[in-house]
Amino acid sequence: MQQREEVFKKLALVNDPELDRSLTELEFINEVTIQDSSVTVSFRLPTYWCSTNFAFIMAEDIRDRVSELPWVSNVVVRLEDHCAAAEINEGVSSRKSFFETFPNMAKGELQELRESFRIKAYFSRQEKLIQYLIRSGLEHAAILNLTIQGLSELPFFEAEGTVLAERYLAIREEFGQGNQPEQTAFIRPDGSELDPESFPDYLASARLIRLSMEFNGHHCQGLFQTRYGTEPLSEMEACKNESSAFV
Amino acid sequence: MFKTANGEEIFVIDSHIALWDASPENQLNIHGEQFINCFYDYHKNLSPAQYLWPKEKFLKYDAETLIHDVFTKGYADMAIFQPVFLTDFYKKPFGDIEKNAELVKMYPGRLIGNGSFDPRDGEQGLEYLEFMAKTYGIKGVKLYTAEWRGSSRGYKLTDPWAERYLAKCEELGIVNIHAHKGPTLTPLDRDAFDVADIDGAASNFPGLNFIVEHCGLPRLEDFCWIATQEKNVYAGLSVAMPFIHTRPRYFAQIISELLYWVGEDRMLFGSDYALWEPGWLIEKFMAFELPEDLKQETGTDLTLAVKRKILGENAARLYGIDIAAQKSLLSQDKLAVSR
Repeated sequence: MQQREEVFKKLALVNDPELDRSLTELEFINEVTIQDSSVTVSFRLPTYWCSTNFAFIMAEDIRDRVSELPWVSNVVVRLEDHCAAAEINEGVSSRKSFFETFPNMAKGELQELRESFRIKAYFSRQEKLIQYLIRSGLEHAAILNLTIQGLSELPFFEAEGTVLAERYLAIREEFGQGNQPEQTAFIRPDGSELDPESFPDYLASARLIRLSMEFNGHHCQGLFQTRYGTEPLSEMEACKNESSAFV
Repeated sequence: MFKTANGEEIFVIDSHIALWDASPENQLNIHGEQFINCFYDYHKNLSPAQYLWPKEKFLKYDAETLIHDVFTKGYADMAIFQPVFLTDFYKKPFGDIEKNAELVKMYPGRLIGNGSFDPRDGEQGLEYLEFMAKTYGIKGVKLYTAEWRGSSRGYKLTDPWAERYLAKCEELGIVNIHAHKGPTLTPLDRDAFDVADIDGAASNFPGLNFIVEHCGLPRLEDFCWIATQEKNVYAGLSVAMPFIHTRPRYFAQIISELLYWVGEDRMLFGSDYALWEPGWLIEKFMAFELPEDLKQETGTDLTLAVKRKILGENAARLYGIDIAAQKSLLSQDKLAVSR
């Protein structure tokens, strides 16, 4: 039982790159079976046509995250009910690269695609937090002057604000921006500073990215529930509640 | 025609309808079955309960049903067929322009039958495009860049052959290019919903109008940025519309973003029939108002004048329809009389 929980905790670290939400939270994990040191994870997506490249990224991340467990020697990933399931399952399980799996259709690997969606996730998490601060009464200038320490000391952080801040700090960290107390809290994904004049335009663009991502998330979840309409696995429920701490 | 409580008449053009055949007899393979299953999930997920169709009807419905749903129940004065062929999935085309043409003929002035092309058809396809223009007088095409063709999983509007087709369209007076972006796989390592090729095509062909169906969803942000640059890019609201029922707040946000970035003159109503019936969409849309906070945030509003543009005036402009003249032309036809 403990092994299953460990596997699910690893799966909670795997994100749908388009939605910036974990597979356990999205309930995409269908089944986990463990036999000695071998783990099989099956997952499924909202439609038969979900983009093959994103499906491949998820399959690869499932394999890599679960492989991090010291007692695991072999991971089999099974994507189900998908137009490219056979190729993806074979490719990921035999540790082929994306290009090797789809030699005639891909020109390269998925790194650039991953990065462009992490940047969208950065904008999205940042904008949500900034909107929360604006709703709490902070002016633009005050927001731009905040340091990491200042952010953590804000008195009005309720559960919602805390989660938004944690998610934002986590992606800052991922972008190598560090989270030292004296650093400016709100900067661009490339590390450059924001200025008050262009801040409204910056926010309008970030809002559009956040909205698109969120909308996409609701749409995908709605389709997923329509397609499968099943109860989530019990371990997934546990990971859903914890997942914000992992991202 | 939709009439407001004050008796004002709103001329409605449903810019995106289809008469499809996805029956098991017409399915060529598992992909044909999965394609319509996916459509049906869209339908089930976003339709109000009283407008849910049984699966069997959804697979294949007849012309009378379409006419009834779109024109009698559905307030539309006119509607535009946007056919996709999907010949790798279905034996006869999923959307068949010849069947559409029969209906166009039966209901003069009511229906516009667009064509379609696939640049992978090479020279032969160019000839067919010319045939469609001469035989059916098409003014628009629906393009499905995600269509499978043998080992190919789609194409881009900036491919050299696509450019030849677009040039041919311009020459033939086919000015309205309705582009649907699905999960295209060429090249597979790029974003499958990338709308950047619309940008390239729109700036290379300023004489053509590019209506991006589903307003670029799920890449609304990329679409909006392109539409601010290219003035011949339009937002087709099909698929975004039904969120008015299940997620009205998101619908409001999308509409206000589109009004802010793209503008009220470049948004077109489309039901995507038979994915959703236009009747309930139009009723809800006419009753809909943007929440105050969104109006404040984006400085936009969905006034009656804006709704008129979205529901009919913008499409009328693109298709050269004089609404006043068309209204009197249609006022005595068999559909008007039977209402």
